[in-house]
Amino acid sequence: MAYTNRAHLEEKRAYWAMVTPAFALYLLVMAFPIILSFVLSVSNYSGGKMFGGEKWGFAGFGAYARVFTDPWFWNALKNNLYIVLISVFGQLPLGFIFAYFIYAKIVKAPNFWQGVLYVPNIISVIVVGLLWQTIFSPHGPIGEIINYFRVSDFQAQLKGIFNAAGGFSLSDDVIHKILDLAGPAGQSMFSNPVPELRDLLSSYQGQPMSEVYTALSNLFVQKWSPAFLTKPDIAMVPVLFVILWMYTGMYLILFLANMQKIDAQIIESARIDGANEGQVMRFIILPALSGTIVNSAILAISGSLSSFALIFAMTGGGPSRVTEILSIYMYNNAFLGRPNFPLANAISLIMVIISFVLIALTKAVEKRYGGKED
Amino acid sequence: MSEAIRESKLKKALSAIGRVAVYMVMGIFAFMTLYPIFWLIMNSFKTTREFQVSQLALPHAPTLQNYVEAWKMGDFSLLFPNSIIYTLGATAGIIFLSLLAGFAFAKLKSRATKPIYNSFVIGILLTTQTLMIPLFLEVNLLGIYNTRLAVLLVYIGAGLPIGIYLSTEYIKAIPSAVVESARIDGAGFFKIFLKIIIPMSVPVATTLAMLNITSIWNEFALINILVSKTELKSLPLGIYKFSGSLSTDYGKQFAALTIGMVPMLVFYMIFRKQITKGVAAGAMKG
Repeated sequence: MAYTNRAHLEEKRAYWAMVTPAFALYLLVMAFPIILSFVLSVSNYSGGKMFGGEKWGFAGFGAYARVFTDPWFWNALKNNLYIVLISVFGQLPLGFIFAYFIYAKIVKAPNFWQGVLYVPNIISVIVVGLLWQTIFSPHGPIGEIINYFRVSDFQAQLKGIFNAAGGFSLSDDVIHKILDLAGPAGQSMFSNPVPELRDLLSSYQGQPMSEVYTALSNLFVQKWSPAFLTKPDIAMVPVLFVILWMYTGMYLILFLANMQKIDAQIIESARIDGANEGQVMRFIILPALSGTIVNSAILAISGSLSSFALIFAMTGGGPSRVTEILSIYMYNNAFLGRPNFPLANAISLIMVIISFVLIALTKAVEKRYGGKED
Repeated sequence: MSEAIRESKLKKALSAIGRVAVYMVMGIFAFMTLYPIFWLIMNSFKTTREFQVSQLALPHAPTLQNYVEAWKMGDFSLLFPNSIIYTLGATAGIIFLSLLAGFAFAKLKSRATKPIYNSFVIGILLTTQTLMIPLFLEVNLLGIYNTRLAVLLVYIGAGLPIGIYLSTEYIKAIPSAVVESARIDGAGFFKIFLKIIIPMSVPVATTLAMLNITSIWNEFALINILVSKTELKSLPLGIYKFSGSLSTDYGKQFAALTIGMVPMLVFYMIFRKQITKGVAAGAMKG
């Protein structure tokens, strides 16, 4: 008896020695901030020393009222919702289909596809954000590609005009046709288009035709500069595209890993019994992955709540705040201009509450589909 | 008979067309994945002027000047060691504390296990990013703003929930008889942990290492609110400096982005299998 008591005590001591460091740290980083955010959200704390500085105290739930009446809160929430939607209706189905192509051996080299499509996930989101910011900027390659086609199309039509005239020509007909082709850009460039263009063209007499084409296209083809990220009404589109680009590979890996857990013999025997591809998908693969699909959707929502750096780097929430998501909306309230800590903490707590709802949802899903996926 | 043969030929032809279509769709997606990365690396060897004139052609006189200047401007010789310290330090901390607590949860009897373990599992979906404002105020309150300690503590704390979940589930699967017979031989719990549990937990430790190394190396949101001194910053913070006013100096910006990207690309090439396994295990959270 004495021995078992001592053994019991030793086990108890060992238990707490092992659990305490992790639990204390966890409380420090997760639990305490939640309490702090609640306390500050109902206070009038305005920064500075928390104790011994300016006095602050209870100020009611005004911060929550201000959050819910702020149109920018709803704008940010809407953007978070867009991120969830692009995940659920973009990344998940694409990831699922790609995983199936690999799983069913419709494509060869499974490691290659998996390896390549996952690459964006291991690059820092800051790098991804800045890279795509440049690609979508007016100086980016998209403009260069589009302009290349515009110029070559314009030059092809010029060539047609000159070929029809039998080579280099300054005839009225050619001049008019060129001006027609140039459209308003041509008209606005001259005060008296026909003679002025003829003067200009005559200076190219005797030069190779390619020079003539280049000169005319430089003159008349307006450079198109894509400004996706500076137009408020469409700025969210490239952001969502990049999110799709970045995370589809992650869902591919998830789905593939869970497909590979399906007993191959079940599918084999279903095929022997005459089941076709569609039936195997519908009656074996989809049911086996239902838990994974629901979990992935929950993951997408929690991912949307935790995303920050990608949009922070890519747009900074701009232009004129339209691409703000909740985390950036919170950050800007705390660090941009005059800090509003009660408001920022209220937003933080709202996000925590959404997370708790998600956790409850996960538990319900677990019960429904029985057991955890791992 | 001939009807059946014709039908199966048709089926084969159709499936060949389907196969080509599948390859095309996946090929386009793979191209869209890799080309921007290739484009970035290629343009990092051009001067800003050459980039402005031609963005799609290969550099006609490749230069390393961008790298030399970006390295200096971004203070990367300070940030690189910092990133290594944070990544390895926090990862080691997460693995050790997770295995330690996981062992206690899985093999030692206590009524405290249920509530504490469940609170960790809840934390998996509670992303720390949502708490960055109160965390910022907390580290100020504790007087550890702008210290490496704060970064390490926050990273370890944030990594514990998934770490403890995976470790506990893993150690549960180790037969209890292993622990019991060591106890009968007179070994203490810490000795059992060091001599038996740790060596047997290498697979789960590897999974945790992969998950945490990739995420901590790239982490931005939290460290952004924890430190402001250059000597304490990590690579992502340094790279972010190349946005804003420096963002039109494309040559340097691209060099900086490449510097930030290449270490993880190399790491990924070496450990692709383990990383993939870790993602599949880590993303399916309780």
